[in-house]
Amino acid sequence: MSKFSYRNRPLGLYLHIPFCVSKCTYCDFYSVPDRELMQGYVSALLTHIRDYGRTCSGYTVDTVYIGGGTPTCIGPKFLARILQEVRNCFPLADDAEITVECNPESTDKKMLDTMKKHGVNRLSFGVQSAHDDELKKIGRIHTFGQTKEAVGLAQQRGFSNISLDLIYGLPGQTQEMFLDSVAQCLAMGPQHLSCYGLKLEPGTPMERENPVLPDDDAQADTYLAMCEMLRANGFEHYEISNFAKPGFRSRHNIKYWDLSEYLGLGPGAHSFMNGRRFAFARDIKAYIGGEDILTDEEEVASFQRQGEYLMVRLRTADGVDFLELEKRYGIDSTPYEESFRRLLGNGLVAHQGTRWYLTEEGFLVSNSIINAVVEAGQEQVEN
Amino acid sequence: MKNREQIRNFSIIAHIDHGKSTLADRLLEQCKAVPQREMEEQLLDNMDLERERGITIKARAVRMEYEADDGKTYEMNLIDTPGHVDFNYEVSRSLAACEGALLVVDAAQGIEAQTLGNTYLAIDAGLEVVPVINKIDLPAADAPRVKQEIEDIIGIPAEDSPEISAKMNINIHAVLERIVSDIPAPKGDADAPLRALIFDSQYDPYKGVVVYMRLMEGSIRPGMKVKMMATGASFQVLECGYMLPLGLSPQQELCAGEVGYFTASIKTVSDTRVGDTVTEAARPTDEALPGYRPAQPMVFCGIYTEDGSKYPDLRDALEKLQLNDAALSFEPESSVALGFGFRCGFLGMLHMEIIQERLEREFDLDLVTTLPSVIYEIVKTDGTVIRCDNPHDYPDPALIDQAREPFVKATIMTPQEFVGNIMPMCQERRGVFKDMQYLDAHLVELHYEMPTGEIIYDFFDALKARTKGYASLDYEFLDYRPSDLVKVDMLLNGDQVDALSFIVHREKAYGRARRICEKLKENIPRQLFEVPIQAAIGGKVIARETVKAMRKDVLAKCYGGDITRKKKLLEKQKEGKKKMRSLGTVQIPTEAFMAVLKLDEES
Repeated sequence: MSKFSYRNRPLGLYLHIPFCVSKCTYCDFYSVPDRELMQGYVSALLTHIRDYGRTCSGYTVDTVYIGGGTPTCIGPKFLARILQEVRNCFPLADDAEITVECNPESTDKKMLDTMKKHGVNRLSFGVQSAHDDELKKIGRIHTFGQTKEAVGLAQQRGFSNISLDLIYGLPGQTQEMFLDSVAQCLAMGPQHLSCYGLKLEPGTPMERENPVLPDDDAQADTYLAMCEMLRANGFEHYEISNFAKPGFRSRHNIKYWDLSEYLGLGPGAHSFMNGRRFAFARDIKAYIGGEDILTDEEEVASFQRQGEYLMVRLRTADGVDFLELEKRYGIDSTPYEESFRRLLGNGLVAHQGTRWYLTEEGFLVSNSIINAVVEAGQEQVEN
Repeated sequence: MKNREQIRNFSIIAHIDHGKSTLADRLLEQCKAVPQREMEEQLLDNMDLERERGITIKARAVRMEYEADDGKTYEMNLIDTPGHVDFNYEVSRSLAACEGALLVVDAAQGIEAQTLGNTYLAIDAGLEVVPVINKIDLPAADAPRVKQEIEDIIGIPAEDSPEISAKMNINIHAVLERIVSDIPAPKGDADAPLRALIFDSQYDPYKGVVVYMRLMEGSIRPGMKVKMMATGASFQVLECGYMLPLGLSPQQELCAGEVGYFTASIKTVSDTRVGDTVTEAARPTDEALPGYRPAQPMVFCGIYTEDGSKYPDLRDALEKLQLNDAALSFEPESSVALGFGFRCGFLGMLHMEIIQERLEREFDLDLVTTLPSVIYEIVKTDGTVIRCDNPHDYPDPALIDQAREPFVKATIMTPQEFVGNIMPMCQERRGVFKDMQYLDAHLVELHYEMPTGEIIYDFFDALKARTKGYASLDYEFLDYRPSDLVKVDMLLNGDQVDALSFIVHREKAYGRARRICEKLKENIPRQLFEVPIQAAIGGKVIARETVKAMRKDVLAKCYGGDITRKKKLLEKQKEGKKKMRSLGTVQIPTEAFMAVLKLDEES
């Protein structure tokens, strides 16, 4: 009993695998193509897992997320070592959600069997599109056929929590084309979908190319049509870009949206623990060399915490309960609530009692709304 | 006693780029007026703005000595003139100070508009006009053709005009000789009572106002008590002398026929108006020199600083500029949208632009300016008459018995082939045709009475565009006439934006309102809600546009828990918002607001 209370702080664990066979033109996550660094990287990561495992004895890890890069491209052996080390070094909850991001071309039977054996219970496939010409244009190295095959193999092996990623707003993409991709994904029977709007990230090849994207109105219309379609197929829209069958929301990602604690290991991975944010620099060689490469360290000031809380909560369909906000931060939520009320007439926000949330139209302009709401609170602090 | 016979007072008339400043530099050089090493490009235009715009804003004068072929040394006074219709009056006063003018014409391009207008001003003033063909070094130069053109269009002999290249220093000597032989020496009795024409003045922080003048009769010396005949102000002369290229040169005395300056601890140029006559207080002349016209602001606009806290800086800057510019007027005003600023009056649009540019450049201010307006006269139902240049002060229509707008007498000189282009343009601008006179076989003078409000915006530019630059324009205030005026208010999301209201003739209201609505629509970024833009007269909406609500502003990706990055992105957006101006419930970037106010006038 004492042991349980000692370990009852939940923690999400993120492990970054910074390798890709080739880089997609839109992507700005940290990854390198050098296979010869894999061995050294995995052993550095294992060391890191051991080091942090010792300091995290007060936690119970209830979600593990292995992302990238392309986690599956390091092969089953390395992946098994990593999963085993996590199990050895962190107190892992029995029902922990363990997710691995999979790319269709490197997710074969052997990989799937290894993941199954080591307790992976959720797979997230980077599908992006059901159209091979679109895939090619954005630098994906797989076809939609390969995706279907890989997802089919996973399902045969008993993986029953499968998420598919899609991108809308690709250059030249019409609403019909995108909805067709959604339909073809639905046909595979996933439990979860993440649909991201394409954003030209600074420094990516696509940004340099600066292609003509569908305009804001077209993208907004596509988004709303997609929401409608997924709702009709039994999916809950629980975050701006995420949809799940009941009971299949991503427990790991939810931690980002309710300011729960998480630890990220690997170059470019972010953590939030004990009210402190930090990240490891995007430098694989320094990481392998065991250098101290903490960056972006930030103690979150108490006011900022309210702002952060609003910022992340308003991304979710649950939104913000002002009673909860007042309890959490000991503040008067009236100015926040007033700023919401001003938007009520535009159909961008809605509420149930003290719980306020953005509508799908509201999600589409969430940056502006979040800024307006946070600002309203800031004025209160300044006055 | 100096020999008046050896004085030559002249100005140079030229189109922009036809080489006026270069020629002036060459003349100075030949007269060894400036040591070579101090020769700076275009010495005369010493305001940065003038150099950049290639135009002369303030009149300048400079004295040089020329040893002519006849062995005598001549005192040459070059009086430079501004070259824009806003400053026509200043030009006419500068010309009145001369006996002759060099007409510089580009050997490749021939005569152009500005040249014509000022040449006629010079001829009207009785000046001897000496044509000079410049840029003969250009491959496209065609001196015979240009000479023929001068004879045909202006009607003065040009056959043996000097053919020069100021740039290549060719034949400058011939120009100087021509000044000596063709331009008459000044007349005037040095013993008569003082009678001097002020053609410019400039504020100097040490000496006070330096008054530039041409002595017509009499003489002036330090210690003399002088009186300005129009303003009535009296001063004791502290210093008088010549303007040399590199500075002032004090003298014991200046006499009839000479060009020079005096100082008298004068605090402001408003006491020394261009065109006024200076005379001796103890022994005044019987009659002032003709042609004085007090500087009258014709165009008004509100000037604000982008950063409201810079308001005192703006006031200081305007006060400093006014020291040197009697035509500039200003008084404080405030606007809901723009905060505290000044209502400023100008001679015309160019004058307005120049002041704005000088405020921004010389005083490092970021400005927001409102739509320009003229002064209207309103007779209210209770019989009182108010003058109103600010839409904000425009009375409720129910209280207006009669609204009047200012009219000018506009004189347009043009080669007759363009008359067909000009007349409809004047009609569109509610001009009343008075008459048309043939000055010679080709040249026509059109007289119109036009609402000032129609002429101030872009009329001059439009006129030049429709006459290949040949037409010239002069205008002077005529009278106030009853007019069907309306005040148009602009509403954003139902809230009136005071800085965008304007007064306009009813016939023009719809067109202007529609264009402002369109411009606002183009410039207002999408907001979280739909923003109706309306233009209304009283309560009646006459034009409408809508800025659709913003549809998409979202970070779709969650960046693997990188909240810091997300926060930074949102912070950046917020920073951007700080540069926004709040107009009621609507946020609009300052640049967008200014784009609307800078509306180019077409209707």
